[in-house]
Amino acid sequence: MNSIMSWIKKARLLIAPSLPQCLFCGKRGRPSSGLPGICVSCHTGIPWIRCPRCQTCGRHVGCPDCSRSREPVPIRCNRSAVAYTSEMRELLGQYKYRGNERLAPILGLMLDKAYTILQQEQSEQQIATLQSNSSRRPFSAAKPNYSLIHPALWQADLLVPVPVSSARLAERGFNQAEQLADVLSLRRGIPQLPLLIRTRHTGKQSFKSRSERLADMKQVFAGNTEQKLLQRLGGHLESIAARLQNRPLQIIIIDDIYTTGSTMRACAEALHRLIGDLGYAAEIYSLTWARS
Amino acid sequence: MRVAVYAVECYGSWEIRVSLNLTVDRLWWKGEGMGGEGWGGGQADRLVLLSQSLPLGWGVKLREGFRASPAMTLWKKEDWKRYVANCLKAEIRQEQEEGGLREEEWLTARIISGESMLDRTGGGAKEVAISGNYGGQPVFPKESLLGWGGSAALAAAANQLAAVLAGRSLLQGEAEALVAERLPDLAGNWSAAVQLAHLQGRIRIEAAVAYNNREHGGGVLGWVSKVKQSVKETERIGSREQGGGVLGWGRKMKQSGKETGQIGSREQGGGVLGWVSQAKQSVHVLGRVSEAVAGRGVRPRLTVGRFPVVTGRLLHAAALRLPQLHLPRRGAAARRGASRCLRCGSVPTGRTACAACGLAGCAYCEACLALGRSRACALLLRSAPLPAVRCTAGVSPTVAARRWGLSAAQAAAAAAALGFLAEPRERSAPRGPERFLLWAVTGAGKTEITFPLLEAALAAGGRALIATPRRDVVLELAPRLAKAFPADTPAVLYGGSEDRWNASSITLATTHQLLRFNQAFDLVIIDELDAFPYHNDPMLAYAAEQICKPSGSFIFLSATPPAELQRLARSGKLPHARVPVRFHGHPLPVPVHLHMPPLHRCLKQGRLPGSLIRTLQKSLARKAQIFLFVSRIAHIAGLLQLLNRIFPGVPMEGTSSKDPDRAEKVLEFRNCAISLLVTTTILERGVTVPRSDVFILDADSSLFDEAALVQMAGRAGRSKDDPDGHVVFASAEWSKSQRRAISQIRSMNAIAHRQGYL
Ligand SMILES: [Zn+2]
Ligand SMILES: [Zn+2]
Ligand SMILES: [Zn+2]
Ligand SMILES: [Zn+2]
Repeated sequence: MNSIMSWIKKARLLIAPSLPQCLFCGKRGRPSSGLPGICVSCHTGIPWIRCPRCQTCGRHVGCPDCSRSREPVPIRCNRSAVAYTSEMRELLGQYKYRGNERLAPILGLMLDKAYTILQQEQSEQQIATLQSNSSRRPFSAAKPNYSLIHPALWQADLLVPVPVSSARLAERGFNQAEQLADVLSLRRGIPQLPLLIRTRHTGKQSFKSRSERLADMKQVFAGNTEQKLLQRLGGHLESIAARLQNRPLQIIIIDDIYTTGSTMRACAEALHRLIGDLGYAAEIYSLTWARS
Repeated sequence: MRVAVYAVECYGSWEIRVSLNLTVDRLWWKGEGMGGEGWGGGQADRLVLLSQSLPLGWGVKLREGFRASPAMTLWKKEDWKRYVANCLKAEIRQEQEEGGLREEEWLTARIISGESMLDRTGGGAKEVAISGNYGGQPVFPKESLLGWGGSAALAAAANQLAAVLAGRSLLQGEAEALVAERLPDLAGNWSAAVQLAHLQGRIRIEAAVAYNNREHGGGVLGWVSKVKQSVKETERIGSREQGGGVLGWGRKMKQSGKETGQIGSREQGGGVLGWVSQAKQSVHVLGRVSEAVAGRGVRPRLTVGRFPVVTGRLLHAAALRLPQLHLPRRGAAARRGASRCLRCGSVPTGRTACAACGLAGCAYCEACLALGRSRACALLLRSAPLPAVRCTAGVSPTVAARRWGLSAAQAAAAAAALGFLAEPRERSAPRGPERFLLWAVTGAGKTEITFPLLEAALAAGGRALIATPRRDVVLELAPRLAKAFPADTPAVLYGGSEDRWNASSITLATTHQLLRFNQAFDLVIIDELDAFPYHNDPMLAYAAEQICKPSGSFIFLSATPPAELQRLARSGKLPHARVPVRFHGHPLPVPVHLHMPPLHRCLKQGRLPGSLIRTLQKSLARKAQIFLFVSRIAHIAGLLQLLNRIFPGVPMEGTSSKDPDRAEKVLEFRNCAISLLVTTTILERGVTVPRSDVFILDADSSLFDEAALVQMAGRAGRSKDDPDGHVVFASAEWSKSQRRAISQIRSMNAIAHRQGYL
């Protein structure tokens, strides 16, 4: 018995050095089952937002902004994967500013968890609506309502990344929102299109007041009217025409971080205009990797 | 970034150039600025635009791989296009494989040109107007210099820029930050000035990651690890951390002229090491991210599950751009030579679609990400090599010794080093900087010894650098240097320091900061050469090799030089001086061995051997501060508990590298508020506590090598008031490391005795 134990110990020691290097902390550690490439201790330390306190902006703590504002909001709701703690800030910094693009697939996977939450919430709402409708109108035995028995999961029709300015793009080499959207796009089979463009470079946001920032943001984004892109959008809309018959187009705007929501609102407004000009109605959601 | 690329014929010879600002090049080569200062450009016979906008890495490849042929004089547009496509064959093919443009697209999309810009061969100058964009920037009329008040103003700006970039190696972002701080007038409009300084030969324009056969870079330190390394060997080693590194004293080394010639292949070997570990890691990660995101599977052409045809097309447009995992193509790599990060010497392991250059696969370096990303299209600005000065001593060694208050042993070592600096250097140019080892025992006062050397370098108008692995040493040394050299306030550089872009004749820096310099210094003093992080870190070793001017000098400081350096010194191949005695003139305490069972057994049984307790008791009785070193952090808490029981009332603490309160505890230990400190090797260097004794438990542990033991023993008896501290090696086995450490200490004492320093 003793010798077996010592053998196991030795075997463990032999195995230990080959433990994979964690993409977050860089140390060699036992890999987590939840996120590939991430060690167990980093994985347990992720501040997931599983149940957002604010149903509107997806914040994990109370949120005065959403309850205060009475103006119509162009976004149905925002959901974020994690709370923007100092650890998450450091992680995002490594990816976005230092350019460690190996983190993109993992951050994208994390964003995918937020999508799962959004999907579940929306599906439940759908069922609730269907049930309240059907209770008023009992279905006939000849035509069972399959959609009520097997309601399809809610699914977005399109992903749109928040654009970065061309100066940023040249400096950084990539648009983090687009890379995150790419991961989601491939996992969920939802196309992403760069339907927004940034018309100018904004200065440092932190020096401005909230109202200044909001006013500033308004003119920053515009719909992308590039012909080829609109053709592709048209093609996509045709292909999903069947499911669009009785509902608006469900679009998710993707970004790395949601701070005040001014970026998202400005993007959503520009997007509403673009989609409206094409003769469609849109329901816009937003999904970000982190919520501050 | 993207740059313009052109070929120029001047006095019958062709070359290829890259440009950040073609307006400047046109003025330069037309000779229009002639007469104006800084515009001594030749009159070109012909200018052929090869591309208005090409990824920087490709432009540099064209420039570096250029082979002139006499037929070029007769070449037409199509010939030049064919030449460019041929030179970039490998790049274009790779790009196509990764989903980028195909060769035809490169040749037709108005990217690769071949258009004549200037032809003076047929008598009068025929100038052809080029329309379109250059490097994504609008073309300016040739008369306008992008808002510069004229050619003279631009020349002045180029002068300033070349001056602040002297000895630097900076990525675009860093250069911009430097310009913003040092030359605010140039900020936002510096590319024309860079281009002019480049044409003047004062600033080199490089791609941060490139196939670089021209510049060997390495070999400066001379005893570089054995060059040839089979791939098998590399794979066995498996990861860069264990790979020995460029300084590589763990391996067989030869110091010969031949060696330098082979540096190229060494770099490749070293790179493969890094590569293997990275690749394994990425296989692991990407392979499991999901089927959809796996490695090359991300290609949008692949069918994605039950995806409608139309959206498949959409996906193609929104191509997933993630870093691609690149499997080694040994044959290809061997033929072309591996590309390297010019800043840190590593082989780039990342590759991704890049909006800055527009390539689907732009290589980037993952080893030095912490300092901002170095990639194939990132602009790296370096100054042209500066002439070195000979650090001849202005004053005699005896005068210097008196001025700096050196002891006899310190003075002798300083004199030897000064003699080395003053030696003529003609023969050394092809071999790179000369090296000198200052082997000074712990507590010898090596900092003071360097003062006369710095003085000699400064007196000769040279620039000096002191590099140290530890930030606290930088912080401690800075005020001492400022006091010693009041006329030359040192530039103090460490992660997060304020003087990032200050220039001074003395620079004091932590090792990572060295990556931002290139052949900048006449005198480079490397402190604790054997200490972390130079040891086994090829990146920092590479950086250290890059910073000294080719005919400058390195001074290595160490109390415990690596075995290979010791051997070179003994065999007379490495000039050196030993300081065998401490500044107070007393011999080093010789460690005593004490037999004890392994610590983990003692802790399990809950008791320490009587002999150890008695020895500790003696130290406590003489009111000594006790360093108690253990090999494992896990033992600290248990041992403290035990000691508290044995010596109740004695204030004691435990600390390690993982202890957030470490600095505080060390301070309390220094102030004698704590009299016994249980710790791991983190305190082996740097901490000086008066009246201290040293106990090393499990001294036979493989974690304690000879150098570590000498360093730990070196904590004892450092003060003048208590020069005879006690050192105890406690272990079950009498290991080779312990024997060697003791014999090293004994032999230093013997030398000191023989030379009459005791
Ligand atoms: Zn981790
Ligand atoms: Zn809210
Ligand atoms: Zn690098
Ligand atoms: Zn690039």
